[in-house]
Amino acid sequence: MPIYKAPLRDMHFALWEAAGAAALRALPGMEEIGADLATPVLEGAAAFCEEVLVALNRTGDEEGCVLENGAVRTPRGFAEAYRAYREGGWPALACDTAFGGQGLPKIVSVMFEEMICSANLAFGRYPGLTHGVYSALRAHGTGAQKALYLPKLVDGSWAGTMCLTEPHCGTDLGLLRTRAEPARDGSYRITGTKIFISAGEHDLTENIVHLVLARLADAPGGSRGISLFLVPKFIPDAQGNPGARNAVAAGALEHKMGIKASATCVMNFDGATGWLVGAPNKGLAAMFTMMNEARLSVGIQGLGLAEVSYQNAVAYARERLQGRRLGGAAAPDKPADPILAHPDVRRMLLTMRAWIEGSRMLAARTALAIDIAAHDPDPARAQAAGDEGALMTPIVKALFSDMGWEMTALGMQVLGGHGYIREWAMEQFVRDARIAQIYEGTNGVQALDLVGRKMPAHGGRALRRFFHPLSEWTAARAGRPEIAEFVEPLAKAFGRLQGLTAELARRGLADPFEAGAGASEYLRLFGLVALAREWAHAAQIALPRQEEAFYRAKLATARFFFRHILPQHTGLAASIVAGGAELRAFADADF
Amino acid sequence: MIRRVGVVGAGTMGAGIAAHAANAGAEVVLLDVLAGAAARAVEAMAKADPAPLMHRRLAYRIATGDLPRDLAMLAGCDWIVEAIVEKPTAKRELYAAIDSVAKPEAIVSSNTSTIPLAALTEGMNPARAGRFLITHFFNPPRYMRLLEMVAGPGTRPDAVAAVRHFADHAMGKTVVDCRDTPGFIANRIGTLWIASALRHAVEFGLTVEEADAAMGRPLGIPKTGVFGLLDLVGIDLGPHVAASLMATLPIDDFYRAVYRDEPIVTQLIASQRTGRKAGAGFYRRQKGGAREAVDLTTGEYRPRAKSRLESAEARTAGELLAHADRGGRYARAVMLDVLAYAASLVPAIAEGVEDVDAAMRLGYAWRWGPFELADRIGIGTISAMLREAGRHVPPLLARAAEEGGFYRTQGAVRAALVPDGTWRRLVRPEGVLLLDDLKRAAKPLLKNGSAALWDIGDGVACFEIATKMNALDADVMALLGKTIELGTGGGFKALVVYNEGEQFSVGANLGLALFAANIALWDEIEKLIAGGQAAYSALRAAPFPSVGAPAGMALGGGCEILLHCSAIQAHAELYMGLVEVGVGVIPGWGGCAAMLRRWKGAKALPKGPMPAVVKAFEQISTAQVSKSAEEAREKMFLRENDGITMNRDRLLADAKARALAMTEGYQPPELTPLRLPGASGRAALRLAVEAQMHLGRATVHDAVVVSHLAYALTGGERDHTEDIDDAAIHALERRGFMALLREPATLARIEHMLETGRPLRN
Repeated sequence: MPIYKAPLRDMHFALWEAAGAAALRALPGMEEIGADLATPVLEGAAAFCEEVLVALNRTGDEEGCVLENGAVRTPRGFAEAYRAYREGGWPALACDTAFGGQGLPKIVSVMFEEMICSANLAFGRYPGLTHGVYSALRAHGTGAQKALYLPKLVDGSWAGTMCLTEPHCGTDLGLLRTRAEPARDGSYRITGTKIFISAGEHDLTENIVHLVLARLADAPGGSRGISLFLVPKFIPDAQGNPGARNAVAAGALEHKMGIKASATCVMNFDGATGWLVGAPNKGLAAMFTMMNEARLSVGIQGLGLAEVSYQNAVAYARERLQGRRLGGAAAPDKPADPILAHPDVRRMLLTMRAWIEGSRMLAARTALAIDIAAHDPDPARAQAAGDEGALMTPIVKALFSDMGWEMTALGMQVLGGHGYIREWAMEQFVRDARIAQIYEGTNGVQALDLVGRKMPAHGGRALRRFFHPLSEWTAARAGRPEIAEFVEPLAKAFGRLQGLTAELARRGLADPFEAGAGASEYLRLFGLVALAREWAHAAQIALPRQEEAFYRAKLATARFFFRHILPQHTGLAASIVAGGAELRAFADADF
Repeated sequence: MIRRVGVVGAGTMGAGIAAHAANAGAEVVLLDVLAGAAARAVEAMAKADPAPLMHRRLAYRIATGDLPRDLAMLAGCDWIVEAIVEKPTAKRELYAAIDSVAKPEAIVSSNTSTIPLAALTEGMNPARAGRFLITHFFNPPRYMRLLEMVAGPGTRPDAVAAVRHFADHAMGKTVVDCRDTPGFIANRIGTLWIASALRHAVEFGLTVEEADAAMGRPLGIPKTGVFGLLDLVGIDLGPHVAASLMATLPIDDFYRAVYRDEPIVTQLIASQRTGRKAGAGFYRRQKGGAREAVDLTTGEYRPRAKSRLESAEARTAGELLAHADRGGRYARAVMLDVLAYAASLVPAIAEGVEDVDAAMRLGYAWRWGPFELADRIGIGTISAMLREAGRHVPPLLARAAEEGGFYRTQGAVRAALVPDGTWRRLVRPEGVLLLDDLKRAAKPLLKNGSAALWDIGDGVACFEIATKMNALDADVMALLGKTIELGTGGGFKALVVYNEGEQFSVGANLGLALFAANIALWDEIEKLIAGGQAAYSALRAAPFPSVGAPAGMALGGGCEILLHCSAIQAHAELYMGLVEVGVGVIPGWGGCAAMLRRWKGAKALPKGPMPAVVKAFEQISTAQVSKSAEEAREKMFLRENDGITMNRDRLLADAKARALAMTEGYQPPELTPLRLPGASGRAALRLAVEAQMHLGRATVHDAVVVSHLAYALTGGERDHTEDIDDAAIHALERRGFMALLREPATLARIEHMLETGRPLRN
């Protein structure tokens, strides 16, 4: 069985030392937030994940879900684990106290999310979207809808789903066909088929609340004619007791590469009763409240899987004896050296470490921005933080999920043949990680979101939240020799990002195809600079504390990042500058 | 020569014509039968918006009186314009009265829009009839460039020539000769267009927003479309115009088939919802600011909804007319009516298609007249659409289909199709020089993506800014630098800075500046500022003369380039100013230094370092913009020797002549160092700003912005005991500009301006 220990020390560092999450205390309702409050919560979360969820990860993968007579049976132990999850109060962690939540900020829940994803991503998919449904209803629902549904979602007795994709349309939701017809009582009858619905049907909760995108009869065409509906599996009475079975059912389970214990369903709506959420034809905007949150969470999935893969790869590399270190034995008393001694194994492990810890710092900073946007009473500061969150969401989603795939593959590589067989579970992390690059908007769509929407909006206003602080940070440290090894390459990469941003904006105005051609590489380059910023900042914190092993390792990892990973920006830049000419010129028939 | 102009009738049109005659330099008499009406009309001119007068003091040129008492005031007039009620008898009586006092050689004209000349001259003595014509102005007379002129068979050529000359040179109008037919040209076609657009909107079930969107940009029609236009001119006018046309149009005229009394129009008029003057029409704005539009079937208001027609997003007129949605079908039905009607009216209403096109462009602000539009769409396409609709293809259109269009261009020569099948070469009047004509045949001397340099003959080059709204960017500056190199090397002997955009230049490209600031490209921005300062300074120091020839807006950097030219020849409609503080920065391309120099040279100012600083500070800190070239002169943007051209089409030729006149022995201006007041001067300016803040006239960020302005204008850390040159003032401009660009409040101002077109008062 794979091992997992929640990286609580590094999470503490990311939140309270690097991101400076204590700044939250200045905001109303957040006065109590600090390491002293968050640490016990995260320790409890760690215990739950390590003791309950880890054990179910591989058995769940082997067993999968079963659909019988319209009911989905989750793998053995999942129902008990979910009960423990509810009883621990975990669904309510980051929910409003007005609806029974604990009112903890995103910075805390994001770390819990990472732990769940490390321990058992497939399990995490069941409660995973409930919080998104909670957020969408809280923002767009009526008072009655909130009163009826939110407490149930918060206490975890009901779960949520988001139903967007249809057989013929995924990314391009303007094409969707599911219909909504008004009924006399003010409700609607929803008819259509949705596919790829995570946790669409299961045996963990007494009710399931679907948020469904559908089209009203008189709606305009395209994405401007989509409305959002709330469709419960069991129609609740006024007291919230689940009543009659609604005409929504799982028609099939998808057979997929990873997250096999997560029930991914084809959902059939056959005149199902639903209620409008928000304004007619404004469904896409309402759904994006949920979608943005989900995108961040998908990024965290990559981080969680990379982390658990790293821990197991390190453990294996310490134990496994093979060959002698180049240039002299490391453990002459043993028949061979641990493979940890080999340069290429060290390269792989340090690469994983640098990506993972850098990403964790970036996740903490982004979560902090989201918290500030939600809680700061000053509209200018809230807008600024909201801009930062909006800007970083596609980067976190795509960069982290790509990283999850690449790092779990490295982790598997460290184990050699043992990584490839199922017994060690390293291949499961690879399979589970792959979906994060695809769902909630493929990573290509994230890149277009960054380049086509976030970049040009309001004359580049969102970019300011990244570029100005970084420009000031590097300018303030220019010419300081003790930190020059970090600041100089950061400033250089940042300058390149500035130039490419201006260039891509210019090209995009003249010809959007050109901007699209460079978008994915631009997102990665942006991500690398964002990680470089985190690592330079981390190095500055670690420099005066090198006598402690934690900071010594931090500084050494920072050095590795700057020397071995950041230089990738050069190749990316060359390809971005090359533009779309070759992509355009190649004849369709020649593919 | 026309020096004194009389106007009888002080209504909207009469008063507007009188004001514009004053703008044109004439002494004016304005009379009305209603006691005191003329005097009140002149009083109202000071407050009217848009202003009919180019300068307040021009009101003194208009003498007013009441009829019949003051009829004799017309005795000295060279030209008397009648603009009274549209009743033939009343008009004829007035002409007889005028005849009793007017000079025998005086010319009389009517501003009628509906009554034929033949009816007006009925019973007129032949000598008077020889000096009588129709001059039909468009509202508002100062701003609408069209003047329709109808001469009768007995009208003397010298009378026609005199009015034509005054209207063209002094009033700046494009005179279009019309036949004596109902509605002349523009309103004849315009009213058919309105009738068809109304009828089809109802028939096709479009909303007013959809109709106006479909009738807009791709066709080159102003975005007000047809319903917005009706609100503007007054919905109640429609039935009057229709009745008048019905009474006078030929019996088989197509208008009769198209026009219908629409119930919605009747309903709006009956409920006093006659358009903007009534506060409600097809559109209205609720007290809270909510914008509403009328439902064409119920007559009830509902919230305004943006059109979602795909057709309205079409890039070309052809694409729009071919579109299958109801917007496309609507535009096709209406424009086929208009194009077929126009083609059936030449030569009945005008000698040539070019006259019809000019009238629609200038009288209705269409980007293309109907025949130009037909050429853009393709005559074949239009004929096919007409046939498909089961309609007759007018012979002129059929002829154009054979010939391949209504216009053709060979080299620089443009010719128009004559109904008999021959081609008429289009020749611009003497003294009209247009870059657009020239560009058809010429290759630029220099060119990049944002600007070009053209040889306009006689050794004169024309620097043309050619971006959207003629905003300035690094490429404009780069090409200006190359231009100066070329001229310094003897490539040309004089330069004109001119373009034919609607606006001369709206200043720096704020979108680029904001984006660059948002991504912290400070060095690049500072380089752009320094580069602009260097280019403008080089222009001023160049060994050849340069003449700036602006028309429309010359704001910010667009104002600054003119301030560095050797001379300015301005179009009378000039909106010039340093408006940088509106977006939270200060002039950075030499505007501060240049205005200090201009005010230092002002004769009326007291001596010493402070008065010029105070003037420049007042002007820049309140972002003053001239509302005419006359006002620009008062604000010292134009100097005593700078010239003003009334006719937009004559601007380039005037500027070129001026530039040529300066070449002989030209020496660039000598820049003696300035003395500025330093910190003590700043203290005085700060007190003034604090007073403005107490009065609530200046905001918190205004104070920040103008403190940087004060720092640059007072010479920074130097004081009145030290010389300061332009390079040092430029450094102060840059410093202030760059500091302000890092202020979030400044970035918010720029963003707001870009997104709403209005300044943010933060």
